[in-house]
Amino acid sequence: MATDTLIESDLDISQLVDRPWVTIVWDDPVNLMSYVTYVFIKLFEFSPAKANELMMQVHTEGRAAVSQGSREEMERDVQRLHEHGLWATLQRDDKV
Amino acid sequence: MSEFTRDQNIYSLDLSIDEAHILINLVEQLLELLGEGDFHHHYDESDPFAQLMSQLKAAPEEIVTPEDPVLLRLLPNAYSDPEAAADFRRYTEPTLRGKKQRTLQMVRQALEIIVDDDRSGVVEDLDSEIWLMAINDLRLALSIRLEIDPNSFDHFEALSDSDPQKPIYAVYFWLGWLQANLLNLMAG
Repeated sequence: MATDTLIESDLDISQLVDRPWVTIVWDDPVNLMSYVTYVFIKLFEFSPAKANELMMQVHTEGRAAVSQGSREEMERDVQRLHEHGLWATLQRDDKV
Repeated sequence: MSEFTRDQNIYSLDLSIDEAHILINLVEQLLELLGEGDFHHHYDESDPFAQLMSQLKAAPEEIVTPEDPVLLRLLPNAYSDPEAAADFRRYTEPTLRGKKQRTLQMVRQALEIIVDDDRSGVVEDLDSEIWLMAINDLRLALSIRLEIDPNSFDHFEALSDSDPQKPIYAVYFWLGWLQANLLNLMAG
Protein backbone atom coordinates (compact mmCIF):
# COMPACT_ATOMS: atom_id res chain seq x y z
CA MET A 1 0.00 0.00 0.00
CA ALA A 2 1.39 3.35 -0.93
CA THR A 3 1.95 5.93 1.72
CA ASP A 4 -0.24 8.98 1.39
CA THR A 5 1.85 12.05 0.91
CA LEU A 6 0.25 15.26 1.98
CA ILE A 7 1.39 18.14 -0.15
CA GLU A 8 1.19 21.31 1.82
CA SER A 9 -0.33 23.36 -0.95
CA ASP A 10 -3.36 21.00 -1.00
CA LEU A 11 -4.39 22.27 2.40
CA ASP A 12 -7.10 24.87 2.13
CA ILE A 13 -6.19 27.13 5.00
CA SER A 14 -9.21 29.35 4.39
CA GLN A 15 -11.53 26.46 5.31
CA LEU A 16 -9.90 26.19 8.72
CA VAL A 17 -10.32 29.85 9.58
CA ASP A 18 -13.71 30.34 7.91
CA ARG A 19 -16.55 31.16 10.18
CA PRO A 20 -19.20 28.43 10.16
CA TRP A 21 -22.60 28.89 8.57
CA VAL A 22 -25.92 28.92 10.38
CA THR A 23 -29.49 28.11 9.40
CA ILE A 24 -31.97 30.77 10.54
CA VAL A 25 -35.70 30.12 10.92
CA TRP A 26 -37.87 33.26 10.76
CA ASP A 27 -41.19 33.91 12.45
CA ASP A 28 -44.35 33.98 10.35
CA PRO A 29 -47.98 34.49 11.39
CA VAL A 30 -49.23 31.24 9.82
CA ASN A 31 -47.27 28.17 10.91
CA LEU A 32 -48.72 26.70 14.10
CA MET A 33 -46.38 26.69 17.10
CA SER A 34 -46.96 22.95 17.54
CA TYR A 35 -46.11 22.38 13.86
CA VAL A 36 -42.83 24.30 14.09
CA THR A 37 -41.84 22.26 17.15
CA TYR A 38 -42.80 19.05 15.32
CA VAL A 39 -40.63 19.98 12.30
CA PHE A 40 -37.62 20.80 14.52
CA ILE A 41 -37.86 17.38 16.20
CA LYS A 42 -38.37 15.56 12.90
CA LEU A 43 -35.51 17.24 11.01
CA PHE A 44 -32.92 17.84 13.72
CA GLU A 45 -33.81 15.14 16.25
CA PHE A 46 -33.95 17.72 19.04
CA SER A 47 -35.47 16.76 22.38
CA PRO A 48 -39.03 18.09 22.76
CA ALA A 49 -37.73 20.62 25.33
CA LYS A 50 -34.99 21.91 23.01
CA ALA A 51 -37.36 22.06 20.02
CA ASN A 52 -39.92 23.96 22.08
CA GLU A 53 -37.28 26.41 23.31
CA LEU A 54 -36.13 27.18 19.74
CA MET A 55 -39.74 27.52 18.55
CA MET A 56 -40.40 30.04 21.35
CA GLN A 57 -37.26 31.95 20.35
CA VAL A 58 -38.53 32.18 16.77
CA HIS A 59 -41.93 33.29 18.05
CA THR A 60 -40.75 35.94 20.54
CA GLU A 61 -37.51 37.19 18.95
CA GLY A 62 -38.55 36.79 15.32
CA ARG A 63 -35.75 34.37 14.45
CA ALA A 64 -33.56 31.59 15.77
CA ALA A 65 -30.44 29.77 14.60
CA VAL A 66 -31.41 26.09 14.45
CA SER A 67 -28.25 24.50 13.03
CA GLN A 68 -24.62 25.29 12.38
CA GLY A 69 -22.01 23.75 10.10
CA SER A 70 -20.57 23.86 6.62
CA ARG A 71 -22.29 25.83 3.88
CA GLU A 72 -23.33 22.61 2.12
CA GLU A 73 -24.86 21.19 5.30
CA MET A 74 -26.79 24.41 5.94
CA GLU A 75 -28.07 24.49 2.37
CA ARG A 76 -29.41 21.00 2.91
CA ASP A 77 -31.09 22.04 6.17
CA VAL A 78 -32.68 25.10 4.54
CA GLN A 79 -34.00 22.95 1.70
CA ARG A 80 -35.56 20.47 4.15
CA LEU A 81 -37.14 23.32 6.15
CA HIS A 82 -38.58 24.76 2.93
CA GLU A 83 -40.02 21.34 2.10
CA HIS A 84 -41.91 21.60 5.37
CA GLY A 85 -43.06 25.17 4.74
CA LEU A 86 -40.89 26.93 7.29
CA TRP A 87 -39.29 30.21 6.30
CA ALA A 88 -35.52 29.61 6.54
CA THR A 89 -32.30 31.17 5.24
CA LEU A 90 -28.60 30.48 5.71
CA GLN A 91 -25.78 32.90 6.41
CA ARG A 92 -22.33 33.07 7.93
CA ASP A 93 -22.44 32.91 11.69
CA ASP A 94 -22.13 36.56 12.74
CA LYS A 95 -21.46 35.65 16.37
CA VAL A 96 -17.99 34.25 15.67
CA MET B 1 -67.35 18.27 11.89
CA SER B 2 -64.69 16.13 10.27
CA GLU B 3 -61.63 15.05 12.15
CA PHE B 4 -58.61 12.79 11.98
CA THR B 5 -58.65 9.62 14.04
CA ARG B 6 -55.84 7.30 14.99
CA ASP B 7 -55.90 3.60 15.78
CA GLN B 8 -52.38 2.38 16.66
CA ASN B 9 -50.46 3.82 13.72
CA ILE B 10 -53.36 3.89 11.28
CA TYR B 11 -54.70 7.39 10.58
CA SER B 12 -58.06 8.16 8.99
CA LEU B 13 -60.05 11.27 8.13
CA ASP B 14 -63.80 11.34 7.73
CA LEU B 15 -65.04 14.06 5.40
CA SER B 16 -68.38 15.34 4.24
CA ILE B 17 -68.67 15.52 0.47
CA ASP B 18 -68.55 19.34 0.67
CA GLU B 19 -65.35 19.25 2.69
CA ALA B 20 -63.81 16.75 0.26
CA HIS B 21 -64.68 19.06 -2.64
CA ILE B 22 -63.17 22.10 -0.94
CA LEU B 23 -59.96 20.19 -0.16
CA ILE B 24 -59.50 18.67 -3.61
CA ASN B 25 -60.20 22.03 -5.28
CA LEU B 26 -57.51 23.74 -3.22
CA VAL B 27 -55.05 20.88 -3.78
CA GLU B 28 -55.61 20.98 -7.54
CA GLN B 29 -55.23 24.75 -7.71
CA LEU B 30 -51.98 24.59 -5.80
CA LEU B 31 -50.75 21.80 -8.08
CA GLU B 32 -51.58 23.96 -11.06
CA LEU B 33 -49.76 26.93 -9.56
CA LEU B 34 -46.73 24.72 -8.87
CA GLY B 35 -46.67 23.92 -12.57
CA GLU B 36 -48.32 20.56 -12.93
CA GLY B 37 -49.29 20.11 -16.56
CA ASP B 38 -52.72 19.42 -17.97
CA PHE B 39 -54.89 17.30 -15.79
CA HIS B 40 -58.55 16.88 -15.03
CA HIS B 41 -59.78 19.43 -12.51
CA HIS B 42 -62.57 18.78 -10.08
CA TYR B 43 -63.43 22.49 -9.92
CA ASP B 44 -65.07 24.61 -12.56
CA GLU B 45 -64.83 28.32 -13.26
CA SER B 46 -67.99 29.13 -11.31
CA ASP B 47 -66.60 27.66 -8.09
CA PRO B 48 -66.03 30.53 -5.61
CA PHE B 49 -62.61 29.05 -4.81
CA ALA B 50 -61.62 28.53 -8.44
CA GLN B 51 -59.60 31.71 -8.86
CA LEU B 52 -57.88 31.77 -5.49
CA MET B 53 -54.55 30.48 -6.58
CA SER B 54 -54.46 30.43 -10.35
CA GLN B 55 -53.68 34.09 -10.89
CA LEU B 56 -50.40 33.42 -12.58
CA LYS B 57 -49.30 30.35 -14.43
CA ALA B 58 -45.88 28.99 -13.66
CA ALA B 59 -43.43 29.43 -16.51
CA PRO B 60 -40.93 26.60 -16.23
CA GLU B 61 -38.57 27.60 -19.04
CA GLU B 62 -36.36 29.70 -16.79
CA ILE B 63 -35.94 29.35 -13.04
CA VAL B 64 -36.18 32.82 -11.53
CA THR B 65 -37.54 34.22 -8.28
CA PRO B 66 -41.33 33.71 -8.51
CA GLU B 67 -43.48 36.80 -9.05
CA ASP B 68 -46.52 35.18 -7.52
CA PRO B 69 -46.39 35.78 -3.74
CA VAL B 70 -47.84 32.31 -3.02
CA LEU B 71 -45.05 30.64 -4.99
CA LEU B 72 -42.48 32.88 -3.32
CA ARG B 73 -43.78 31.78 0.08
CA LEU B 74 -43.73 28.08 -0.85
CA LEU B 75 -40.40 28.30 -2.69
CA PRO B 76 -38.64 31.03 -0.70
CA ASN B 77 -35.19 32.53 -1.16
CA ALA B 78 -32.50 30.71 0.83
CA TYR B 79 -30.18 33.74 1.01
CA SER B 80 -30.82 37.40 1.66
CA ASP B 81 -28.24 38.17 -1.03
CA PRO B 82 -30.16 38.13 -4.35
CA GLU B 83 -27.29 36.63 -6.36
CA ALA B 84 -26.66 33.77 -3.92
CA ALA B 85 -30.43 33.20 -3.67
CA ALA B 86 -30.75 33.00 -7.46
CA ASP B 87 -27.84 30.54 -7.74
CA PHE B 88 -29.28 28.31 -5.04
CA ARG B 89 -32.72 28.45 -6.62
CA ARG B 90 -31.40 27.39 -10.03
CA TYR B 91 -29.98 24.19 -8.55
CA THR B 92 -32.58 23.29 -5.96
CA GLU B 93 -35.99 24.69 -6.90
CA PRO B 94 -37.01 21.87 -9.28
CA THR B 95 -36.45 19.34 -6.48
CA LEU B 96 -38.42 21.37 -3.94
CA ARG B 97 -41.23 21.98 -6.44
CA GLY B 98 -41.32 18.27 -7.29
CA LYS B 99 -41.53 17.21 -3.66
CA LYS B 100 -44.39 19.61 -2.98
CA GLN B 101 -46.18 18.35 -6.10
CA ARG B 102 -45.80 14.70 -5.07
CA THR B 103 -47.10 15.46 -1.57
CA LEU B 104 -50.19 17.18 -3.00
CA GLN B 105 -50.69 14.45 -5.60
CA MET B 106 -50.83 11.80 -2.87
CA VAL B 107 -53.50 13.79 -1.03
CA ARG B 108 -55.43 14.35 -4.26
CA GLN B 109 -55.35 10.63 -5.02
CA ALA B 110 -56.79 9.84 -1.58
CA LEU B 111 -59.50 12.50 -1.95
CA GLU B 112 -60.49 11.35 -5.43
CA ILE B 113 -61.97 8.17 -4.00
CA ILE B 114 -64.49 10.21 -1.99
CA VAL B 115 -65.10 12.89 -4.62
CA ASP B 116 -65.63 10.40 -7.46
CA ASP B 117 -67.98 8.42 -5.22
CA ASP B 118 -69.88 11.70 -4.71
CA ARG B 119 -70.78 11.14 -1.08
CA SER B 120 -69.27 11.65 2.36
CA GLY B 121 -66.63 9.10 3.28
CA VAL B 122 -63.46 8.22 5.12
CA VAL B 123 -59.90 8.59 3.86
CA GLU B 124 -58.44 5.41 5.29
CA ASP B 125 -54.87 4.57 6.24
CA LEU B 126 -53.53 7.97 5.20
CA ASP B 127 -49.89 9.05 5.44
CA SER B 128 -49.99 11.46 8.39
CA GLU B 129 -46.69 13.20 7.55
CA ILE B 130 -47.76 13.77 3.94
CA TRP B 131 -51.15 15.16 5.01
CA LEU B 132 -49.54 17.41 7.58
CA MET B 133 -47.23 18.94 4.97
CA ALA B 134 -50.00 19.27 2.38
CA ILE B 135 -52.38 20.99 4.81
CA ASN B 136 -49.55 23.30 5.84
CA ASP B 137 -48.83 24.29 2.23
CA LEU B 138 -52.55 24.93 1.63
CA ARG B 139 -52.67 27.14 4.73
CA LEU B 140 -49.56 29.05 3.60
CA ALA B 141 -51.08 29.58 0.15
CA LEU B 142 -54.41 30.80 1.55
CA SER B 143 -52.64 33.03 4.08
CA ILE B 144 -50.96 34.96 1.26
CA ARG B 145 -54.24 35.45 -0.62
CA LEU B 146 -55.94 36.52 2.67
CA GLU B 147 -52.93 38.64 3.71
CA ILE B 148 -52.91 36.99 7.12
CA ASP B 149 -51.09 38.84 9.90
CA PRO B 150 -51.11 38.40 13.70
CA ASN B 151 -54.32 40.48 14.00
CA SER B 152 -56.26 38.65 11.29
CA PHE B 153 -58.52 36.69 13.59
CA ASP B 154 -60.22 39.83 14.92
CA HIS B 155 -60.30 41.40 11.47
CA PHE B 156 -62.06 38.47 9.82
CA GLU B 157 -64.38 37.82 12.76
CA ALA B 158 -65.63 41.40 12.41
CA LEU B 159 -66.41 41.06 8.68
CA SER B 160 -70.04 40.73 7.68
CA ASP B 161 -71.16 37.30 6.52
CA SER B 162 -71.72 38.64 3.01
CA ASP B 163 -68.05 39.62 2.62
CA PRO B 164 -66.49 37.38 -0.07
CA GLN B 165 -63.35 36.97 2.05
CA LYS B 166 -65.28 35.45 4.93
CA PRO B 167 -65.82 31.92 3.56
CA ILE B 168 -62.20 31.77 2.43
CA TYR B 169 -61.06 32.71 5.90
CA ALA B 170 -63.42 30.05 7.29
CA VAL B 171 -61.61 27.44 5.17
CA TYR B 172 -58.22 28.76 6.32
CA PHE B 173 -59.38 28.56 9.94
CA TRP B 174 -60.77 25.05 9.41
CA LEU B 175 -57.46 23.85 7.92
CA GLY B 176 -55.61 25.19 10.97
CA TRP B 177 -58.00 23.29 13.20
CA LEU B 178 -57.49 20.08 11.17
CA GLN B 179 -53.72 20.48 11.30
CA ALA B 180 -53.74 20.95 15.09
CA ASN B 181 -56.01 17.90 15.36
CA LEU B 182 -53.56 15.75 13.37
CA LEU B 183 -50.51 17.06 15.26
CA ASN B 184 -52.22 16.19 18.53
CA LEU B 185 -52.79 12.63 17.42
CA MET B 186 -49.24 12.23 16.13
CA ALA B 187 -47.82 13.45 19.45
CA GLY B 188 -49.95 10.98 21.40
